[in-house]
Amino acid sequence: MTVDSSIPIDAPGGGLHTRLFASRRILLGSVILLAIILAALATLPMTLGHRSSLYYNSQDAAHVRQRPCLTRPFGTDSLGRSLLGRCLLGGAISLAVGTAAALIAIILGVSIGLIAGYHGGWLDALLMRSVDVLYGLPYILLVILFKMAFQEPLARLISPNAANLIVLFSAIGLVSWLTMARVVRGQVLSLRAQPFIEAARAAGLPQTRIFLRHILPNLVGPVIVYATLTIPQAILQESFLSFLGIGIQKPMPTWGDLASDGLLALNPLTAYWWMLLFPCTLLAVTLLSLNFLGDGLRDVLDPRQDAAKL
Amino acid sequence: MAQGLCPTHMRRFLLIPAVLLVLLVLSLRLSTGGGGRAAQFTFINRGEVNTLDTNRMSWLQDIRIAYALWEGLYTLQSDHGTAAGLKTVPGAAERIDLSDDKTTYTFHLRPQARWSNGDPVVAGDFIFAWKRMLQEPADYTYLLFYLHGAKQYSEAFEAWASARQQQLAMPAPDFKQVGVTACDALTLRVQLDYPVTFFPDLCAFPPFFPLHEPSMRPFAEAEDSGHTNYKSAFMRPPNLVSNGPFRLAEWQFHRKMRLVANQYYWDRGQVKSQVIDQLSSEDPQTSFLAYETGGADWLAEVTGDTAFGLAQRGRKDLHVFGAFGTYFYTFNCNAMLPDGSPNPFADVRVRQAFAMALDKRFIVNQITRMGERTTTQYVPPGVLAGYQSPAGLAFDPKAARRLLAEAGYPDGAGFPHFSLLFNNEGQHAKIAEYAIKQWADNLQLGDRGTLAGVEINTFRQYLHNKNYTMARANWFGDYYDVSTFTDKYRSYSDNNDSDWKNPEYDHLCESAEREGDADKRLAMLSRAEAILLKECPILPVYNHVNAYLFRANVHGVSLNPRNMALLKEVWRE
Amino acid sequence: MFRFIAYRLAQFPLILAVIYLLTFILAWVVPGSPFERNDRKLSVQALQRQQEEMHAEHWYTFLGHYPARVVLHGDFGPSLSYDGWTVNDILHDALPVSISLGLLALIIAICCGVGIGAMAAVDKGKALDWLSLSIALIGISLPSFVVASLLLTVFAFYLHVFPVGRWEHISDVVLPAVALSLMPMAYIARLTRVAMIDVLSNDYVRTARAKGLSRRSVLWKHCLGNALLPVLSYLGPAAAATLTGSFVVEKVFNVPGLGQHFVNSVLNRDQTMILGTVMVYSVFLMSLNLLVDVGYALVDPRIDLGARQET
Repeated sequence: MTVDSSIPIDAPGGGLHTRLFASRRILLGSVILLAIILAALATLPMTLGHRSSLYYNSQDAAHVRQRPCLTRPFGTDSLGRSLLGRCLLGGAISLAVGTAAALIAIILGVSIGLIAGYHGGWLDALLMRSVDVLYGLPYILLVILFKMAFQEPLARLISPNAANLIVLFSAIGLVSWLTMARVVRGQVLSLRAQPFIEAARAAGLPQTRIFLRHILPNLVGPVIVYATLTIPQAILQESFLSFLGIGIQKPMPTWGDLASDGLLALNPLTAYWWMLLFPCTLLAVTLLSLNFLGDGLRDVLDPRQDAAKL
Repeated sequence: MAQGLCPTHMRRFLLIPAVLLVLLVLSLRLSTGGGGRAAQFTFINRGEVNTLDTNRMSWLQDIRIAYALWEGLYTLQSDHGTAAGLKTVPGAAERIDLSDDKTTYTFHLRPQARWSNGDPVVAGDFIFAWKRMLQEPADYTYLLFYLHGAKQYSEAFEAWASARQQQLAMPAPDFKQVGVTACDALTLRVQLDYPVTFFPDLCAFPPFFPLHEPSMRPFAEAEDSGHTNYKSAFMRPPNLVSNGPFRLAEWQFHRKMRLVANQYYWDRGQVKSQVIDQLSSEDPQTSFLAYETGGADWLAEVTGDTAFGLAQRGRKDLHVFGAFGTYFYTFNCNAMLPDGSPNPFADVRVRQAFAMALDKRFIVNQITRMGERTTTQYVPPGVLAGYQSPAGLAFDPKAARRLLAEAGYPDGAGFPHFSLLFNNEGQHAKIAEYAIKQWADNLQLGDRGTLAGVEINTFRQYLHNKNYTMARANWFGDYYDVSTFTDKYRSYSDNNDSDWKNPEYDHLCESAEREGDADKRLAMLSRAEAILLKECPILPVYNHVNAYLFRANVHGVSLNPRNMALLKEVWRE
Repeated sequence: MFRFIAYRLAQFPLILAVIYLLTFILAWVVPGSPFERNDRKLSVQALQRQQEEMHAEHWYTFLGHYPARVVLHGDFGPSLSYDGWTVNDILHDALPVSISLGLLALIIAICCGVGIGAMAAVDKGKALDWLSLSIALIGISLPSFVVASLLLTVFAFYLHVFPVGRWEHISDVVLPAVALSLMPMAYIARLTRVAMIDVLSNDYVRTARAKGLSRRSVLWKHCLGNALLPVLSYLGPAAAATLTGSFVVEKVFNVPGLGQHFVNSVLNRDQTMILGTVMVYSVFLMSLNLLVDVGYALVDPRIDLGARQET
């Protein structure tokens, strides 16, 4: 795996920045993503505020299963709750799940990949074989087992809702770091073999300086790319857990949870189409932008990457 | 990456899809088993059948198949036009003599009754099955305790088996002490301790069905303790021998079961369909679509939204009718909760307050929408002739608040956090979300109620271990008598999920057991139910309904509250 | 080459043993053993007896007896949640189903994915690139249960093109296979696109065109081949996951395959079933990875298997 050395990281003139902004994928992806994130976060006081019409749990018995109208732009669900409020809060939570999973993936994956790649030898072999073994287990097994093992004990220590969220983040994050570790290790290995590292060592530079000035900056690219690509995977995994009934604790919504509920309502006979359409559109748009963003970043930061490492 | 002009054997890449295609054709041959002869009637059962061991079955879909495969001393027959929808008629026994004190039944078996391998049905088959039921206790063993000496035998056998395991010597218990004897091959005498009016109904229930010992013998594994275990292969075709209208021809796990008419069945002339297929389908939407596209003739369970949509369109093939079951919330009545904190629901006033602060109409009108009736009573009304359930606690938020204040939580102040346990399938989540909000609003409890939605296995475990504060529950009657409901809440009953103990209730139930006069008995049970409803270990919400889908060319599907359509009677034009 | 294959095959038992151990520990550690929960299926005595039969009183007794049974007899034992069925029975019935479904899904994924990715790469930056890639990425931008349900409702119900809920003829396989193919298709399309862009920017492509070779000949003979190497690499784990089925697709289309067992066995704490399914998955994964590596060498003669570094 090679780094495209034609893009100097700290060259004058900002070659990298120009390329970043020139890529339409990145621009489009980031703009849409930003818009959605802003909408979800800015409306948090309303979606969590008991008095607001957008409160996610405001059950209104008189307006059950209403189709979208001016006062209720996304319609209501089967308990009369505003779907717009639930979608907004759901977006915040889903994106939080994705981001948390990506953060865990970064922390764990980068550390392990660094140690393996830098140290080499038996530690490298041990860590990479462990990664192989974990790859060999179906990830759903690990997620469910982790969730079932830790949710209850944790719920006794802190509130059940918080425990549910924390376990959800961790369970998904813990299966997402494997690719990151492999990518980082590969990157470190190929960097170490580069002539300029040899030269630096021959010149007598201390290890830490080599590490900080030469290795780490070259890792930023792939890490960002794969972190961006981990987020949609994590959001989809959370939606799968909701489909199984072991996702987020009700009545808190996530997009996956709303899509799962909307599915039940999407019956050829009843067709409460808004209950499925809005969460799914938001999901599709967000995940597509994340994927485009990730692809665009990869085009710019890592064009010669061995693309088999997803 | 490749740098030169070398064409990397593009053709070799095409090998991949080609190889895959070949493998695909091969594997398709293996996996799609081919339909074989088309069935005359196909239905979608509620889920996959769990077991065909009549001693151990307790699930509805298993029991439905059991009625097709076996026949007890009495059997069920549809009785159109009555509230019960079913009547109990003699089955394997052609004549039954009842003693004057109504405690001794003498069953004269039909000489022409045969097992599916041609063997005659003899009294010994029933004795073998009932003995096994007592030796290997299961969910319904307690029903056999109406037999004289049965309970003692069962306990003695268990003690003897444990003694043997510890290598202690103990005399083996004698089955002769139990009140069932084979006077001869075709006569069975059963001795009860006291008259049981619904004993014929019990005889028509799978735990009382006969078993064909010779076909099970090759699968027997005797253990040191004296227990005999039968390997489950005895339930599979072609090993399974049954004496009912059908025999089991095929059983493909999680796919389908094929029942073929039993040529040796004494009443084979009355069996309407010769080949019946049962398809198993877990997803309700897919099941409905399968029915709609002609994949099945009868869909035995239709869920809420679908049923509502069908009813709105005036679909004639939807049949909704009352079920013999109730949906309720159950309270943990112990003084302490599993985590050690004091249980607010141990105080009966708190339970009553919660019961009176829930407006159930929204649930049946807007959430389930299948035309259920809300209820304040435990036993479903209108099914059992002559029985009148006492009135329960009506919706009265003001009274509820007063009660809560009396219990020490004026305006909800100081009420601890509590959680409502339910499983995430179906509508339970929505109902729970609504209920929590109702209590938050009507009792001013604010955010103190939380939801604990778990998946079904965890749910059952928590419920059984009393590891909950409040949980959703339901109960369906197994036979047409009040005791199938009231027995559940006796202090020592295994099925008592709430740990509610009331000696007066127990006493009433036990007296009712021994009471010979039907009216007096029902009055006692009514008083027992009144205690139950007043003390409120359960919060009845609504009475279930059954919903079937079948077209006009399907006949014989009985619409009875027990949800027991008899496969012997169904057919399609 | 054969030494390489033999070397990898020799590693199988060791890796399988480690995976087995790990799965065993994980499955045992989770609270709620099927032996203690009495959910009205087995009586207390029957539960106890089953526990004794499986030597499962303590984890070390279970660990001591069970592997011997698996290795020597190939017998995974009875399923702890499906009363009366052995794990071998269930696997025997479900595996061919999942394999057929997976094979068809893979064929669709490969053909469509490569096609879409190549188209997108050739028209890079233009409308076809965006459009085709968006379609391909649907597979990883929407939850699979939504796509599967929509497919079922639209094609089987509204359009009556395919039957619902059966598994008896080829027409039953098509719709679930399409649903299952969407996710690998997305990844394959993306991989192909990236690799093709890389290849297309190479000098030798320009040389070939300058020499007068037609566009199609250049694409087909020179570019696609090189671009497909990363796809081949991805196929190993993708095939393993696809061939062992997907829970969502199987639930929605009522396919009696193996995918549902992966999830249900964990939810039911059915330890023997968990071990059985995980072992199957691991064997698939390792064999397919090996196949892929060998295939790599066959396809690209410049690759030296012995020296191939694991990255």
